[in-house]
Amino acid sequence: MKKLLALALLLCVAPPAPAATNATVTVKQVQDRRTKGSFSQLMISIEMPGIPSADVAASRVLVSQAVDDKGNNLVDSEAQEPELEQNARSMFGSDKKDSPVTVSVTLKNPDRKATNVKQISGEIELFMPSKDPNSVAEIPKFTSFSGKTLSHKALKANGVEIAPLNASQLAAEKKRLGDLKRKELKDAGYDDESINSVLASFLESLFQTDEGEVLVRLKDPDKHIQDVDYVDAAGEVKRISMRDEEGLTYFTTWGEKPQADWKLRVSMKTAKNIVRYPFSLTNVPLP
Amino acid sequence: MRGLRLVLLLSLYTSLTSAVFGQSGVGVEIDDVTDNRVSAGGFTGQLELRVKLTGTGLDKATAARIVVKDARDDRGTVLADGKSDPPDFFPREYNSGTLNFTVSQPARAASTVRLKGTVELYAPARDPNAVVKISKALSKYDTPLSSPTLKTAKITLTPLSRQGYIDARKARKLDDKKIEEIRAEGKKRGVPDSEIETMIGLAKALEGLDEDPPEGAVILSGKKADFDRIYRIEILGNDGKPIDTPQRGTSSRGEDSIMTIIPKEPPPANAALQIFLITDKSKLSFPFDVKVTLP
Repeated sequence: MKKLLALALLLCVAPPAPAATNATVTVKQVQDRRTKGSFSQLMISIEMPGIPSADVAASRVLVSQAVDDKGNNLVDSEAQEPELEQNARSMFGSDKKDSPVTVSVTLKNPDRKATNVKQISGEIELFMPSKDPNSVAEIPKFTSFSGKTLSHKALKANGVEIAPLNASQLAAEKKRLGDLKRKELKDAGYDDESINSVLASFLESLFQTDEGEVLVRLKDPDKHIQDVDYVDAAGEVKRISMRDEEGLTYFTTWGEKPQADWKLRVSMKTAKNIVRYPFSLTNVPLP
Repeated sequence: MRGLRLVLLLSLYTSLTSAVFGQSGVGVEIDDVTDNRVSAGGFTGQLELRVKLTGTGLDKATAARIVVKDARDDRGTVLADGKSDPPDFFPREYNSGTLNFTVSQPARAASTVRLKGTVELYAPARDPNAVVKISKALSKYDTPLSSPTLKTAKITLTPLSRQGYIDARKARKLDDKKIEEIRAEGKKRGVPDSEIETMIGLAKALEGLDEDPPEGAVILSGKKADFDRIYRIEILGNDGKPIDTPQRGTSSRGEDSIMTIIPKEPPPANAALQIFLITDKSKLSFPFDVKVTLP
């Protein structure tokens, strides 16, 4: 009985750890796109029975070994480590309940004479927000926070700070950067006329926002942020793309202006919601 | 002597006109090859090719297309047998004049593919009967357009009113009888049952997407075989110039087709239609025979 209680306690407190044994995976689709032009690659879609797609917000596959039956290494050593890619099926709500998640791995083209991928192994990394209560911060009426720092326990837990700038803060920031630029140019020995000309052009183009763009000061020292979206009153998600300029970050929604009743949703990676599953496949037939 | 002069003048005229309209040495040069190999259930990939046209006088052609008569890989796999419908003519001004076409997926073990076919050019300036202008074409709906040139070409086109379009759509609706006819036709052509059912499912799904056309849309109904002999239809505004039409499409069911042209702004009531017919004189064919190394 004591053993049982101890086991139950262990199960309750132990953080979810990556499974030591290989995950059960099946090959869903193989695409060997062979061209002398762009995007010449082998893509294998892998289904993970038992993991509902609805639970997975994003995924990536980290391949440690991939070789065709002619002995060619299919791992592109020059390629950058893949980034987590959004799970489109879950994002658009097109998944049937419990339909398994599908992830995809990109490799180099195998030899034309090869008939199968002899072995492919590595780790599948899944971003599963439901595994951590601090995965998502939702800030209602985001536009009312202009000039203030957003407050949410999930942001705090992940060391993330987001502060939308109001007009006076933006003007102060422009002045600060202008003063720094003036000093930098003066120290470099430029005359006043040149400095004024350069400064005028610098300040004119600085922090120019298009309709619907919001400028924020964003701090995310440990790179927790995975996605930032708006959610309108009807629950429709409006994707935000982010770009940085001179220490500030633009939130862009392709022309849609955030409305007073929109929420800001910040999805964050944490030690609990990033789950890695080792996998291995052998003799995958090539089309 | 007068007779000889006439013959000389006639031959000079003939050579001048062929120089004006003449295209010679037209052929293809492979620009890009993509062997897009896919295995996903019953789906397979395709061999995608992009070609540049070579030769002289190409600037006189409005459009071009590649008609593949035979394609096979060096393992003997037939990738095209010339039995499928030819593709639509593609405007020369797009994609720097290159043409894209596809054939079936070659064998993985293959290393080359040989393609034989023709480059077809559409040059309406070669035939005065290739361009038909019909004034006030939209003044009378649900009645075939009246034009001696269309009559000679045996082409019947009818502009549809909104009600006419609704009736035509109703008549085309897939019912059990039509589905059985599609199944029977598919079987006759040797199409696998699974593919037939996929096609029927797709047709039903597309039917569900049918929407009422927006105000100002020009809808023409006719036989598919007639639309196949039309390169393009322009709506001419009061200034006699084509109205910008960001959306256009043709949907066919059996032998019948409906073309929908959606202009940027509703056309004037007295708008004319300009119809570009693909006639024997306006179409030129040049054979090609190329060998492609597979990537």
